Amino acid sequence: MGRKEFDKNMTAVAFAEAGEHDTAKNLLQGGKEKPMATQETAKKPYLKTLIFGTVSISAYILLFKNEKLVTDTFTMGGWRWIYPVCTAFFFSFIHGAFASNLLSSLGIEAKK
Amino acid sequence: MKKLLIILMFTILPLSLSAHAALAAGGEGPSKDMLKGIITEVNAVERTVLFEKDGTKEMLTLSLGATMQPEDLKVNQKVLINLDKHAEGKVMKDVSVMFMDMTPSKLIALLVIGAIGGLLSGFIGSGGAFVMTPAMMSLGVPGAVAVASNMCHKFPKAMVGAYKRWKYGQADIKLGLVMASTAIIGVQIGIKIQKYILSQFGGAGSNLYISAVFMVVLVFVGGYVFYDAYKLAKGKSEEGATSRLALRMQSINLPPMMHFKTAKIRISAWITIPVGLLTGMLAATIAVGGFIGVPGMIYVLGASAVVASATELIIAFVMGAWGSIQWGLSGLIDIRLALLLLATSLIGVQLGALGTTYVKDYIIKVVMATTMLIVAVSRGVKIPGYLVDLELMAPIAPNTIALLEAISFWSLVAALGSAGAIIIVAMIKGMTADRQSKKALGVANG
Repeated sequence: MGRKEFDKNMTAVAFAEAGEHDTAKNLLQGGKEKPMATQETAKKPYLKTLIFGTVSISAYILLFKNEKLVTDTFTMGGWRWIYPVCTAFFFSFIHGAFASNLLSSLGIEAKK
Repeated sequence: MKKLLIILMFTILPLSLSAHAALAAGGEGPSKDMLKGIITEVNAVERTVLFEKDGTKEMLTLSLGATMQPEDLKVNQKVLINLDKHAEGKVMKDVSVMFMDMTPSKLIALLVIGAIGGLLSGFIGSGGAFVMTPAMMSLGVPGAVAVASNMCHKFPKAMVGAYKRWKYGQADIKLGLVMASTAIIGVQIGIKIQKYILSQFGGAGSNLYISAVFMVVLVFVGGYVFYDAYKLAKGKSEEGATSRLALRMQSINLPPMMHFKTAKIRISAWITIPVGLLTGMLAATIAVGGFIGVPGMIYVLGASAVVASATELIIAFVMGAWGSIQWGLSGLIDIRLALLLLATSLIGVQLGALGTTYVKDYIIKVVMATTMLIVAVSRGVKIPGYLVDLELMAPIAPNTIALLEAISFWSLVAALGSAGAIIIVAMIKGMTADRQSKKALGVANG
């Protein structure tokens, strides 16, 4: 880090600490922010979101296309409780994984 | 200690599983006067129908009730029929089509309530059920199917939420399982009480009892949580301080003592069990056990709001799965409704779960109290109607009753809406502050 850049950073820190975030950002613009952004993008699970999303949507379409068959067999009662309960489990894994990856792709993550 | 826990689990669970009277949390199950199947033929002259009972090939001839019209009956569609208990022979009281037609507006309505219900659930550990069942009923779903489908959507949602919050280090699995196993017994007790009241005072008496419990619990507990959150927000009491009651409870050294690592509590099982029992009893009465479970874990056991609300999701999962099996056995789950609610609630619940990592502990209490107090209003306005039914009050004009019903429904919507808004605003504030501090830190580190 050159001396000029060091000075610039220290000025930005001073502004950031004083709550002047925009000024701090302006001071730092160029150079620093871009590589950070690409680093974040690389980590985002776009592919996983797409895969789980496709599987989930296909499962939804498949089920709703056969609506009558599904609702009739699932409500026969007795041991057939397995059908709705297992279906709910299946969707919670597939669709849950999709939802999780979707939120990460959108950059919404838990505080670390 | 582990041994004791295992013994507790293995004695309590099979006991409750074998109890035949056991039905899902969320009220009574399908009554014996309810038939499920298909009407194959309508005889308008004799006012009878030929009915094929579901699961068996048994054919029954049923008579139409006095107020029913033959042309209103749907042939070759699965229906739920309520029989008139007081009439001789098999007389139908009412018929409802089991599977409503899914129109785009109903679909959107389900997705929206799913999303907000999920958000609330992920954040405060419970919520959604109290509005989902009435909302589904107003979309034309028969009551029993609405309760069953809500139950089937609740356990996968709670499972995903519990997993997320466990990953954030907030959920205490041991506490959750102990509470859940005692809550299942509480459900049985709750149902027994409900059945007793129903047989003694009839439907209106039972409704009045439910509403009264609702009001007392929600106003008292919700009010206290709100007062506590207010003190915390004003800085009058210390964030994370254990309540005096909990400290006293923790000092009771009555074996077996239990140690909950995540919740950082060491407490006698004799204190934990009643809290679980009450949670289950309330779940059987008003369908939302979390309204007593979460405050119970905070103020009686001494867990933080974050840990209590996360642990509630484990309880909701166990009880929801157990309830779904019960309702599945009677074949009343409309899987389409459960899955449509899940489509958005699985996103909502994860958003709510990660939201808790950005907010202060008291925000969870604020959201919880707000929801409880508005829900109390929705139930309170229904009380006059029940009092009239019981002839304890002079009749009210039908217009007023309709107005009260509307207030009741819309206050539920308001409860959900305002809680959702508080969560989103608190979360965005927390995230922005976090990003800014990280940026400043990044700058400082060069």
